[in-house]
Amino acid sequence: MMKRIRVGMMSFAHMHAGSYASCLEKMPQVELVGVADEDEARGGAAAEAHNTDYYSSYDNLLKQDLDGVVICSENYRHLEMTEMAAVGGVDILCEKPISTNAADARKMIALCREAKVRLQIAFPCRFSPAVIHVRDIVREGRLGEIVAVKATNRGRMPGGWFVDSRLSGGGAIIDHTVHVADLLRWYTGAEAIEVYAEAGTMFNDIEAEDAGLLTISYDNGIFATLDTSWSRPKSFPTWGDVYMEFIGTEGVAGVDAFIQRLDHYSDENMSYSWEGWGSNIDMGLIRDWVDCLDSDREPSITGEDGLRALEVALAAYRSIAGGKPERV
Amino acid sequence: MGGIHAGHYDALPDSRVVAVLDIRLEAAESLAETYSASAYDNMEKMLAEENIDIVSITTPTPYHKECVLTAAAAGKHIFCEKPIAMTTEEGLEMTEACRKAGVAFMVGHVLRYFPEYAAAKAMIDNGAVGKIGMVRTSRGGSFPRASGDWYADKGKSGGLVLDMLIHDFDWLRWSLGDVTRVYAKGLVEKAGEHKDYALVTLRFANGAIAHVEGTWMRPDGFKTCLEVAGDKGLIAFNNDDSAPIKLAFTDSGRAGNAVAVPNSPLAEEDDPYRLEIIDFLKAIKREEEPPISGEDAVEALKISLAVLESIFTGQPVEVLR
Repeated sequence: MMKRIRVGMMSFAHMHAGSYASCLEKMPQVELVGVADEDEARGGAAAEAHNTDYYSSYDNLLKQDLDGVVICSENYRHLEMTEMAAVGGVDILCEKPISTNAADARKMIALCREAKVRLQIAFPCRFSPAVIHVRDIVREGRLGEIVAVKATNRGRMPGGWFVDSRLSGGGAIIDHTVHVADLLRWYTGAEAIEVYAEAGTMFNDIEAEDAGLLTISYDNGIFATLDTSWSRPKSFPTWGDVYMEFIGTEGVAGVDAFIQRLDHYSDENMSYSWEGWGSNIDMGLIRDWVDCLDSDREPSITGEDGLRALEVALAAYRSIAGGKPERV
Repeated sequence: MGGIHAGHYDALPDSRVVAVLDIRLEAAESLAETYSASAYDNMEKMLAEENIDIVSITTPTPYHKECVLTAAAAGKHIFCEKPIAMTTEEGLEMTEACRKAGVAFMVGHVLRYFPEYAAAKAMIDNGAVGKIGMVRTSRGGSFPRASGDWYADKGKSGGLVLDMLIHDFDWLRWSLGDVTRVYAKGLVEKAGEHKDYALVTLRFANGAIAHVEGTWMRPDGFKTCLEVAGDKGLIAFNNDDSAPIKLAFTDSGRAGNAVAVPNSPLAEEDDPYRLEIIDFLKAIKREEEPPISGEDAVEALKISLAVLESIFTGQPVEVLR
């Protein structure tokens, strides 16, 4: 009989939890053991939707002889959740950003190292076939020397705890910096050394910033801009985008990770929307993580990777406060 | 650009081309022939010999000031290509000289007359997006080749920040108001290698933020994009998606230009270069201030110069009014 990999879900506070659970359900070698959530209504509904058990206590879930847990709590609770899982000796897939602050992130990495628990951060964009294809083009040098990158990771204002900086660590910048910051490191091997940012609350009546524009300088001389704004109106045909354009001395490559879509015009509610048909990048992430659980290898995306990406967002916040570029 | 101006003056009912000036007399002669006009390689001589009302200046930027001051001293109305000058002092001196001479002075920030940009401005003014939060613009193609390769001489052209992005800076200032602070990264120093690229952040007095991309490193044709996001909506444009004509030939030799040009033809009456000249002629006739003043051009130049300063210093730069 195939070895069953036992996985639990810690919190459904982040909406990505549903997608990860669906991916886990599709894998025959995975047993989705349960959903733990202090919010009984949310956790109970999630458990029912994904044909698994609900646990009102994280500890009780962690006692179920798990191989791995997926942490999708509010960002500020990632340390607390990681500590529980590490104590329980269970490998972790933690939603991005790794944390709201660098100290917690470092503690998470240290705790997992001491407990010999593997910590992976969820950067599913690394599993987009288009993103991988352009990474290969960049790495093969087909664009010559890369001089600059223009990137956007924009969205609609998500609401809920995402706009409460005590729970999320900020607003649009912490939410949308880390994906592209991770991809740029992954593409080029370069580390961010300096960040300048402008930000504001421009579109919504919220406390957190909903407009953010970062300029990031890298140790190999590349500069990049990243628009992290929640600037997509409610009437926009899709949730947002992840777009990167690489400017090289021999050419230009753009990759629009979520552009594979059908246009849908509906008289039913007088709407225009996009129906994506691209590969499910969460499936790629989960398949890779389950493969890691099933082997002795290190995770593809480590806690350090998560910290490096977070540091770019944190430098952006310091830059906004000080009005000048900040070292990462 | 001189040929474009000449063609529109000639085609309009109230103006005609009487003289063409170029330091290369043969270039002046070749254009003059088209309009049965006289050719000159000396500006004073031209102004003395010909009965001229308007001088249109389309030299490389460093020669704008000398030409404007000479024409103003002779009492001629002046249309000057953008950027107005290489420095704000020069630009202000030119503006002041025209004011003192009592001649009309307009600077060709023609983007305001491009229908997509004019429509976007009108929509913004009508509240189509509400309060503006984030604007993104992009412009560029391959490195421009011109007489004497003067674009590769950043001392003459100022690279794409001064020569090309000033279009977007003027449109943004026209549409969103004054810029207070800029931060930018760019490759100005690579102009000699026929490469230039810049990513610019602008902060406006009204709080809005703009991201401006300028590139002379695109091998796949000239592209422009505009997106304006506000608290009530979003307007977006890119010239690829809105080009009504898309051509492809199996025989590449029949495609004509080696570099593809976005094919969005307009009726003659909507030609932006014609419209700016019509507005200029109208202002002269009505003895009104032309719609794009020397001061406007100086403000746009200030943004470009602040961007260059930010690129060179690595620091944000305040833009003072």
